Amino acid sequence: MTHKRIQILSEKLPEFDRRFFESESIISRIGDGAIGGKASGLAFIKDTLAENFGSGAVNGIRVGIPRMVVLTTGLFDHFMKHNDLYKTALSGESNTFIADAFNRASFPPDMVGDLRAMIESVRTPLAIRSSSLLEDDMYEPFAGVYATKMIPNNQPDADTRFRKFSEAIKFVYASTFFKSARDYHRVTGRASEDEKMAVIVQEVVGFRHYNRFYPHFSGVARSFNFYPTGQAKPEEGVIDLALGLGKTIVDGGLAWSYSPAYPRVGPPVSSPRELMKKTQTEFWAVNMGKPPQYDPIKETEYLVKGSLADAEYDGTLDYAASTYRPADDKIVMGIGASGPRLVTFAPILVGEMIKLNDLVVRLLDICERAAETAIEIEFAITYDRKAEIPVRFGFLQVRPMVVSDARLNIEDGEMTGDDVLAVSERALGNGEISGIKDVVYVTPENFDAANTRTIAAQLEAINRRMLNDRRPYLLIGFGRWGSSDPWLGIPVEWSQVSGARVIVEASTPEMNVELSQGAHFFHNLTSFQIFYFTINHAGPYRIKWEWLNQQNAVYQTEFIRHITLARPLNIKVDGRSGRGVIRI
Amino acid sequence: MNKEAFNPFRMAQTQFDHVADILELNEPTRDLLRNPMREYHFNIPIRMDDGTSKVFRGFRVQHNDARGPCKGVIRFHPQETIDTVRALSMWMTWKCAVVDIPLGGGKGGVICDPHNLSAREQEQICRGWVRQLARVVGPLADVPAPDVMTSAQHMLWMLDEYEHIYGNKFPGFITGKPVGMGGSLGRTEATGFGVVYTLREALKQLNIKPEDMLASVQGFGNVAQYAIRLYSQLGGTVICVSCWDQNDQTSYSFKKKDGIDLDALLKITDRFGGIDKDKAKDMGYEILPGDAWIEQEVDILIPAALENQITVETAQKMSPRVKVIAEGANGPTTPEADKIIAERNIFLIPDFLANAGGVTCSYFEQVQSNMNYYWEKDEVLGKLDVKMTSAFLAVSDMARKRKLYMRDAAYVISVARVAQACSDRGWV
Repeated sequence: MTHKRIQILSEKLPEFDRRFFESESIISRIGDGAIGGKASGLAFIKDTLAENFGSGAVNGIRVGIPRMVVLTTGLFDHFMKHNDLYKTALSGESNTFIADAFNRASFPPDMVGDLRAMIESVRTPLAIRSSSLLEDDMYEPFAGVYATKMIPNNQPDADTRFRKFSEAIKFVYASTFFKSARDYHRVTGRASEDEKMAVIVQEVVGFRHYNRFYPHFSGVARSFNFYPTGQAKPEEGVIDLALGLGKTIVDGGLAWSYSPAYPRVGPPVSSPRELMKKTQTEFWAVNMGKPPQYDPIKETEYLVKGSLADAEYDGTLDYAASTYRPADDKIVMGIGASGPRLVTFAPILVGEMIKLNDLVVRLLDICERAAETAIEIEFAITYDRKAEIPVRFGFLQVRPMVVSDARLNIEDGEMTGDDVLAVSERALGNGEISGIKDVVYVTPENFDAANTRTIAAQLEAINRRMLNDRRPYLLIGFGRWGSSDPWLGIPVEWSQVSGARVIVEASTPEMNVELSQGAHFFHNLTSFQIFYFTINHAGPYRIKWEWLNQQNAVYQTEFIRHITLARPLNIKVDGRSGRGVIRI
Repeated sequence: MNKEAFNPFRMAQTQFDHVADILELNEPTRDLLRNPMREYHFNIPIRMDDGTSKVFRGFRVQHNDARGPCKGVIRFHPQETIDTVRALSMWMTWKCAVVDIPLGGGKGGVICDPHNLSAREQEQICRGWVRQLARVVGPLADVPAPDVMTSAQHMLWMLDEYEHIYGNKFPGFITGKPVGMGGSLGRTEATGFGVVYTLREALKQLNIKPEDMLASVQGFGNVAQYAIRLYSQLGGTVICVSCWDQNDQTSYSFKKKDGIDLDALLKITDRFGGIDKDKAKDMGYEILPGDAWIEQEVDILIPAALENQITVETAQKMSPRVKVIAEGANGPTTPEADKIIAERNIFLIPDFLANAGGVTCSYFEQVQSNMNYYWEKDEVLGKLDVKMTSAFLAVSDMARKRKLYMRDAAYVISVARVAQACSDRGWV
């Protein structure tokens, strides 16, 4: 599938109007230069949305991009030069050191007036998001690498609001040079000094409920699904929904994932009790209450987690939840009955109280045709029963996915044999890799879920070495890679395993969890064309642990072995069938 | 140019009379605002370094304080006259009103030439000036600030003397203090940046980009330097600057067709803003007479030196290319020259609007000093930009709606505000 490059020049966007909310332009800019990947995507799709949805509503849902301003890369350049920050930024120092240095810097005088004017006229929570030049390149997605900071922006004093706003922008600027970003730059063969950061300042979609501000729910929809389950087909896409801010989904937390072709079909679980364990129990919101401990270089400084009880108190569970009825061990739609709540979105997906699925399917189709490639969108939903148009669909992001067209068949006969190290029937990626000689694997004999944080730290050290030596490797581990819950898998961030070219996630009898959907890493895996093998210990194919253990380790710890083979492995994945095989 | 005939106070009164007619002010209000409310004239006797005594003449004029404590600079200048001080105090009243800060207008000065005075002698003048006025100035009455040939050091001597007299700390007595000693970040840049904030907005309204515009600047002191810096950051090019040469006792213009290099010029500039002309020549600058800055083929003129520089005579020399004049200095244009500018449809940003960045930041400094809590530079410059931009938009809106010349529109706004305050207090 080919795609066109979305590149919007800043000149195409109107200049920022200091009367922010009165301005006719939903998207405007401050400064000259580029507007970066995320902003380009939104600017590109803005007119398409207007053509299809106008300013009216579809099925009682008003679709639109939240009002936003882009601080261009020209301002970033100016900020860096004005404060002579490149030396610090490229020093390789810790994230804290870099963030502190940026926080101490001042904005250039030609930039600060518009920022001040904006904050004087805006009192709603703001999201300050990265929109870098490299994010603009669709084959090298930097999603999740750079920071996003949300601020409540509700202090009565404009000076305080301005200070918090400034700190948030400087933090996002600083994240251009954080360790995870530097590792990314290295992987993509880019120099960190080439990266330039535009910043999106966007109204947070949501309502205030007591001291929390959040949308009723958020979602990420992809028009191509590399993890199809049941009857779903890859090209039918996949949608993840979560109560509150979308951070839950982006961070790979527990979200409700379903195929838009089968919105009534939930995840494959054996019992209602199991479903309770696999659905969302807490959500993210912007903290509108008592100021938190001052920490301008913490991404979540102004975010709080709420429980389902909080959401029910706020009145936001109505459309999102079902109730577990212990008497007959059943789950019933809605929160009319008493009992534990489960975030299943049944009132929307089954009861169709909001015709969300139809809308998202249509949006995916429209955006896919406009971008001429498979795409991923992020959105946030609010509803207000008293409003003329009760539901608001805030379109937050659109970015292209990389989906290869090349076909490669793996026959049944290739799935077995003495030279087969591992096989998966749920592999991601497409094609053949034959240059990998290094294998880093978690040893099954010593694996214990209690040690996953230690394992993550050890993997990070190895990953850094491998990146420095430019040696791509095969990584094998247990449970969900990137899980935020250390009991469900190894809680690595992408930067800690970013040198891996092929990743295997396996279950064990002790860690018998539903394996990762790659929620957090998904875009990175597919875009870097990384192969991802899912292997269930109870399935027909086993990993050849004995063979691996017989090889000499070049490095090993209590939990991890790193071996270097004499001959490279042969690794193939058939993207359509989902079959993958690794040969010695 | 007939400099002997020029009387800045008469010019200020002429401008006021014109606006009073537009506003149809009543006679008592005209009488009140046409002249300063209070004037102080006094001697400052100093023991010189050589042991002799010398008496310097000092002034403080408080034009109007209906909107708040007086605010105004202190100038050390050999050609200082009481009429200059009166005019500048009146302009200060309008300036504070046009940017809508709660201050009135004042102005002070001493007839002296700091070039010929040692630091100790200057300190004695500063302390003598405060001793004469301590009862009528202060954080809630009249707040001085530096100007031509006075600096942060002079302000600190004055503050020290004031605090010594009253036996307490009053950092809000004076502004323009050094940062760390009660001064505000951004104060040094404020006037020059303010000129360019308004210029930026004017260019937006004219739908032209700074990068397409050439500018010529009169003066190379603090205001001119920071105006050039910010204008260059916005993408504009300055091709000519002029400055006073202390040795030759005349001014020169320095021209470079592809744009002056501010940082390079600053390296060969003395503390009074005088550029070393021999070194400038070596750097490829064309050295021209002092008045040549106004004749350049440019789009923007920024007079940022002294008053009475754009006259009927010099205005004739302006290139037909000139589209905007941003008055960084106080009173650089005579009323007669204003007519020529208006006829030629040049967009004028009047002095008391364009250079109000200085007093606005002084006000910020006063606020910070009175709280004894100081802001980050971003906060200061952000507020300054917002204040200046809002003031510019109010004036340009007024000019457009009532079809007024920009100076008249600015006067209409500020005089109306002051007149209203006088009326509200029951004075007139």
